Amino acid sequence: MRSSDVYESAAAPSRLSIERLGVDRVEAGRVAGAILSDIDFTLEPGATAAVTGPSGAGKTTLLYAIAGLVRPDRGAVRWGGGDVAAWPERRRDRWRRDAVGLVFQDFQLFPELGVVDNILLPTRFDRMRTPAALRERARALAERVGVAAATARAGVLSRGEQQRVAVARALIRRPALLLADEPTASLDPENGARVADALLEMASKARATLLIVSHDPALLARVGTIYRLEAGRLATAEHAS
Amino acid sequence: MNPWPVVLADLRALRWVAWIAPLLVAIAVSVGVALSAQERGLRQATAQAASDFDLLIGAPGSQTQLVLTTVYLQPEALPLVNGAVLAALADDPRVKAAAPIAFGDVSRGYPIVGTTAAFATRWGRIKPSEGRIFAREGEAVAGADVKLAIGDAITPSHAHAGQRHPFGIESLEEARHRHEGVRYTVVGRLPRSGTPWDRAILVPVESVWETHGLGNGHAAEESPIGPPFDGARVPGVPAIVVKPNTVADAYVLRGQYRQGGTMAFFPAEVLVSVYRTLGDVRDVLLVAAILNDVVVFAAVAILLLALSGLRRRRYAVLRALGASRFYVVLTAWLGAVAILAAGCAAGLVLAQLTSLAVIRLIEARTGLALPAAIEIPDALPIAALMALGSLFALMPALAAFRIPVADALRHG
Repeated sequence: MRSSDVYESAAAPSRLSIERLGVDRVEAGRVAGAILSDIDFTLEPGATAAVTGPSGAGKTTLLYAIAGLVRPDRGAVRWGGGDVAAWPERRRDRWRRDAVGLVFQDFQLFPELGVVDNILLPTRFDRMRTPAALRERARALAERVGVAAATARAGVLSRGEQQRVAVARALIRRPALLLADEPTASLDPENGARVADALLEMASKARATLLIVSHDPALLARVGTIYRLEAGRLATAEHAS
Repeated sequence: MNPWPVVLADLRALRWVAWIAPLLVAIAVSVGVALSAQERGLRQATAQAASDFDLLIGAPGSQTQLVLTTVYLQPEALPLVNGAVLAALADDPRVKAAAPIAFGDVSRGYPIVGTTAAFATRWGRIKPSEGRIFAREGEAVAGADVKLAIGDAITPSHAHAGQRHPFGIESLEEARHRHEGVRYTVVGRLPRSGTPWDRAILVPVESVWETHGLGNGHAAEESPIGPPFDGARVPGVPAIVVKPNTVADAYVLRGQYRQGGTMAFFPAEVLVSVYRTLGDVRDVLLVAAILNDVVVFAAVAILLLALSGLRRRRYAVLRALGASRFYVVLTAWLGAVAILAAGCAAGLVLAQLTSLAVIRLIEARTGLALPAAIEIPDALPIAALMALGSLFALMPALAAFRIPVADALRHG
């Protein structure tokens, strides 16, 4: 990437360590069991991993806990020497802006905005003006994921294209950690493969750590480590050779 | 931070609501603004029209009617003052000038007003814009809006109270009551005053008397027009305009002519009581208009609050992508304020258009030129409403603040 880029050193690569993470299930104000218990794993900078498991196993909660959207009841999410889980809300917001890129199952684009404006969205949270270089980077990202940057309304794109725009959006601030929640689940296999290509290639080029929640065997086959979650506990970890 | 792309997207997502909501606000807001502007304009125009009528003397009756007929030329049969009063005023040292005003005739819809050359020039304050002031009987000076050219000759018709005469047209009614054998020749035109007198044809008062077979108010048949009049020969006049020498003289004269078969008053006295009533009506209507605005603002805020419920997921996505709570609240608030502000701005434009339309209507009907439309004080309540609206807009914004992000992401 060009050295003039505004987000060149926004977030330093770092090791992600999940330590004895636990999240309680609260029903009617009372703790009624655990959603996650004793989750423990570490991802080195640039690693690719997936969390899989039956529905209700707590995969999305784990992803949200890592992103700082769910506050765990036990354990720690260590990143760059700090514990994300212990930070106050504002610091977690900033961390999510600076270090994390998120991809959702159902894309969550703003259909009324154009492709470039959708990709630029995460940059609006802390800067008033968009430098030309940043806009150019958004265009380049759109081209790289294979979507026409000039599209005026993201709502007219196909589902596969929308998810690829969402991947570009997650990458605009050069996050050191890329989190994706079932990124291919609502796509046909062909489009799913293109989204997987985009995610993996771009994470690798950006040397970002990639953690995916997925059931998609095609996608699972392409990551370094697969964690299987069952009833809120880590059952197995498979490492690719 | 730059909330505008998100605000813009939210507004686009509203589709037609983003147009209708400001329109409702605009209509609500324009009523109050236009009302306040019209009332103020009416005050200014009516007061300005009365400015040359320092003291009015007439036969006992309705002061309001005397003002309406004399100042605003609304035709009505008035009781007459004994002509001797005119002669007495001419000799009074406290009086700088006095002029009779006589009505009763009409030509092509324009009222013919008999007076003196001195009052035709408003005691020398104005000069004819064309030609000259009448100098002998049978000459006439046209008001600025009278569609007659210099040199045109007219024959007056006897006007009847309650009969509406369309301007510029010789109606059948007029033709039936024509004073055959009487002719006026237009010799001059007065500049525009923005009062009903712009539509009057001014003639020597002697001519009006002669037209009605009442002599000329002078001892000799061939006397020059204007004062002094011969007290014994002056027929009754409906109204006398008096210009006193001093303010003290004005009060003394008013006191003196309040008895003995005359009434005397300052037109301002009548206007003040009219304004008080007008002001009361305005206040009531303004309160109603402002309550109306508050209701519409609240309705729009509640509409947006309902929408913010539908936008829960959107706000949660923004938070998940790294937006602070403040950013999300700001976008929700700005979206609501943008709608209200657009409505208020459009409301001011709408009020201005309404005012201009009403001004034209009033001018067409009465000849009163209201000053051009909206001024800052009329728009001040809008500033207050906007402040209130910005508070209302916090409701949807705070709803955005309280969103549990992880929950809203999963369940919308």
